[in-house]
Amino acid sequence: MPSAVLAGMPQPGAQDDIEATWNYLQHGVTRIMNNLQDGLDLQNYMGIYTAVHNFCTSQKAGTFSITSTIVGQTQRGAHLIGEDLYKRLAEYLAEHLKDLVAQSKAHTDEALLTFYIREWQRYTSAGKYVHHLFKYLNRHWVKREIDEGKKNVYDVYTLHLVQWRDVLFAQVSSKVMDAVLKLVEKQRNGETIEHNQIKQVVDSFVSLGLDDGDSSKTNLEVYRFHFERPFLEATKAFYQKESQQFVADNSVVEYMKKAEARLEEEEERVKTYLHPDIAIALKKACNQVLIADHSNLLRDEFQVLLDNDREEDMARMYSLLSRIPEGLDPLRTKFETHVRNAGLAAVAKVASDAEKLEPKVYVDALLEIHSQYQGLVKRAFKDEPEFTRSLDNACREFVNRNEVCKSGSTKSPELLAKYTDVLLRKSTTGTEETDLEGTLVQIMTVFKYIEDKDVFQKFYSRMLARRLVHSNSSSDDAETSMISKLKEACGFEYTNKLQRMFQDMQISKDLNAGFREHIQALGTKGLDSSYSVLGTGFWPLAPPGTNFNPPEEITADCERFSRFYKNKHEGRKLTWLWQLCKGEVKATYIKGAKMPYTFQVSIYQMAILLLFNEKDKNTYEEISTTTQLNSEALDPSLGILVKAKVLNLDPGSDKVGPGASFSLNYEFKNKKYRVNLNVGMKSETKQEEAETNKTIEEDRKLLLQSAIVRIMKARKRMKHQQLVSETINQIRGRFVPKVGDIKKCIEILLDKEYLERLEDDDIGYLA
Amino acid sequence: MSADKNSQKITLTSNEGTNIEVDRVVAERSMLIKNLIEDLQDEALNNPIPIPNVNDPVLRKVLEWCEHHRNDAVQTADDDNDNRKKTTDIDEWDSKFMQVDQEMLFEIILAANYLDIKALLDVGCKTVANMIKGKSPEEIRKTFNITNDFTPEEEEQIRRENEWAEDR
Repeated sequence: MPSAVLAGMPQPGAQDDIEATWNYLQHGVTRIMNNLQDGLDLQNYMGIYTAVHNFCTSQKAGTFSITSTIVGQTQRGAHLIGEDLYKRLAEYLAEHLKDLVAQSKAHTDEALLTFYIREWQRYTSAGKYVHHLFKYLNRHWVKREIDEGKKNVYDVYTLHLVQWRDVLFAQVSSKVMDAVLKLVEKQRNGETIEHNQIKQVVDSFVSLGLDDGDSSKTNLEVYRFHFERPFLEATKAFYQKESQQFVADNSVVEYMKKAEARLEEEEERVKTYLHPDIAIALKKACNQVLIADHSNLLRDEFQVLLDNDREEDMARMYSLLSRIPEGLDPLRTKFETHVRNAGLAAVAKVASDAEKLEPKVYVDALLEIHSQYQGLVKRAFKDEPEFTRSLDNACREFVNRNEVCKSGSTKSPELLAKYTDVLLRKSTTGTEETDLEGTLVQIMTVFKYIEDKDVFQKFYSRMLARRLVHSNSSSDDAETSMISKLKEACGFEYTNKLQRMFQDMQISKDLNAGFREHIQALGTKGLDSSYSVLGTGFWPLAPPGTNFNPPEEITADCERFSRFYKNKHEGRKLTWLWQLCKGEVKATYIKGAKMPYTFQVSIYQMAILLLFNEKDKNTYEEISTTTQLNSEALDPSLGILVKAKVLNLDPGSDKVGPGASFSLNYEFKNKKYRVNLNVGMKSETKQEEAETNKTIEEDRKLLLQSAIVRIMKARKRMKHQQLVSETINQIRGRFVPKVGDIKKCIEILLDKEYLERLEDDDIGYLA
Repeated sequence: MSADKNSQKITLTSNEGTNIEVDRVVAERSMLIKNLIEDLQDEALNNPIPIPNVNDPVLRKVLEWCEHHRNDAVQTADDDNDNRKKTTDIDEWDSKFMQVDQEMLFEIILAANYLDIKALLDVGCKTVANMIKGKSPEEIRKTFNITNDFTPEEEEQIRRENEWAEDR
């Protein structure tokens, strides 16, 4: 029995008397509810606890209800008492809360919030006390009820929450929420608010989410229904109104800034005083109202921004539209079209005179557009892969189909290859060397877009051959670097020949060193000569188109080399490509020259000039007979010698050709002592181009045929249509084949009986 | 704070009004006292705490147990399915501790229940269980001094209902 009881508190009655016990307890609980701040003394604390204990353990309660066991329920064992206490407490709390509901009617808006929060805090801290004081009830009666699966029985603290939810919250939550929303709207309109209040309301709503299955757990359902739902609705309504108004009065760019700021603000709001659970839903709601609802307006502005290079605004638009599903697709389409048009315009600008178009000018025009928009993709569109793809599509279009390519799509790869040649050739302007590697990388950028990669390969290998043969390549490193770049892009097969060409030159170097040693060992005095041995299959070179009878000195040296080479590599056949040979001759005959001139000449010119060692005057016919050159080779060679005034066209002959005669000009004068007479002839390169283009068609046919055979060898039997599309797939890396060409090639293969026609439009493979 | 807490003393007042000073951590083996100190703080630390339902000898005995177990891990509420509970094994010290007369034993159990000292309550109940184990109803009645208030018919019915549990 409590030894000391405070005045004003009734004595706990007989321990088994519910009326007396509750009467005592109610006083204590009321004190805790209403005056907790005054504290509770030890006597009363222990008094209440003991009263609960004593009631629950009272003799009546403690009786083992064996009699009832016999009659009916057998499983319960000891009957625990406490239900009366629990019910009284629940009723008491309900009454207490009803009072609060009545009080709450006196408040609205912020005052209501203050009231709600104050009362919530008071009530829940009191609840924790009562929970402890009724611990004995919790431990026994409540525990037993819950263990037996009774619904609607909770531990004492949870009972407090349940009562709050069912009695008070049910009545005032919507009003509280109205106040919250008004407060938030105030803040959205720029006022400073006490946002801690909202935070506390949120916490309170979250606490009330009691799991029906297990009251020790909480869920967010109450919060979601009573807080999130209205909050999101209010947010939507607010921004719907605001954004419509704003759009009507301001530019799209201004609106984007506004929307961006608002979105950031809402994210911040979640962090400062909302529950993280709302973050995604709130973001979605804002995205819908602020962006999706205005997406058409935004997208319409995109073209304007593109046209005016408003990078920052495009970045803003990107980040806004990327927040909504499929928001960016229309932008990508517009972007692609825009880039293509920009590319076409840039090409059109430089293509006014397509015939004289400098490769560099053309490639630079392509590159400029590419790098401009690649920069845009990087800075404004965060390098997003889909935008990069749009850029690639656009570039592929304007690289392969533009003003310059009107005559044929082979123009782009041709110009690109030529530009590469310009870069890789020894040039007089040394400035480019520093950034050669960088420029090659750029070349590869364009190369990536080229559809007719085989055309590029053709031109490239032809020009590489020329650079190597004439040893006017700017650097071996740059050449290998370029080849390895191509290899990386198109695979080993693509650069195989290029690499072999390069190797041949290396091997030839060693060979020449060996030959020189060999000559020295023999003691013969030969020419200061060097030879290149080039594998027939790898080099795009044809034997000379004319007979040629080389001068004696040359023949002797060549024969020595031939013997030397055949000794080393038996069975190999050497074909002399005279048209590529060149040399230097010293002119010791010229009067008035302080030192002898050196002429750099082709071997044909050399043969002609050497004739004048015998006599000063030779007729066209004499030259032709001795050198055996046909007129296609002879006329231009002579022409240059005459033009440079090394030879004089004798009076009576009006032009180089049959009937003309030539005499040595002893009065020859030139500013330089080294005179290059071996200048390439325009017509020659033109012809080469035409030839290259012609071989491309031939090669493509072979490429197609070999692809078809490869496919059929693997599949054995295939539908015609399938075979065509499979062939397109395989060959696309090199060029874009026409379906008609593929069909023709299939016909050819059928004729050659590599393939056979089977029923049902099937094609079969004949081994 | 925790170092402070270890050396703190509080005073408990027994049913008869005698004061017993004890380390705070020892007293806090009782969930009742633990919660009380948590709720009332200084009030509880500076004033004697009345324990109206326990008399001086029992309270001292209970505190002796608490002192011995002062460093045990605090039991969590979910320990119910603990294996320890399912056996009747008792720690050697505890079993010696429980070698008291029957009256004292029941007083300890009641006090442990009142003060909410779960581990002690368990030990007490196990001790009683061991006293029952292996005994016939008649022996049990004798042990606990229970008068048989069943009619022979009632007793027969109970026996039949519990036949399955008989040792055979």
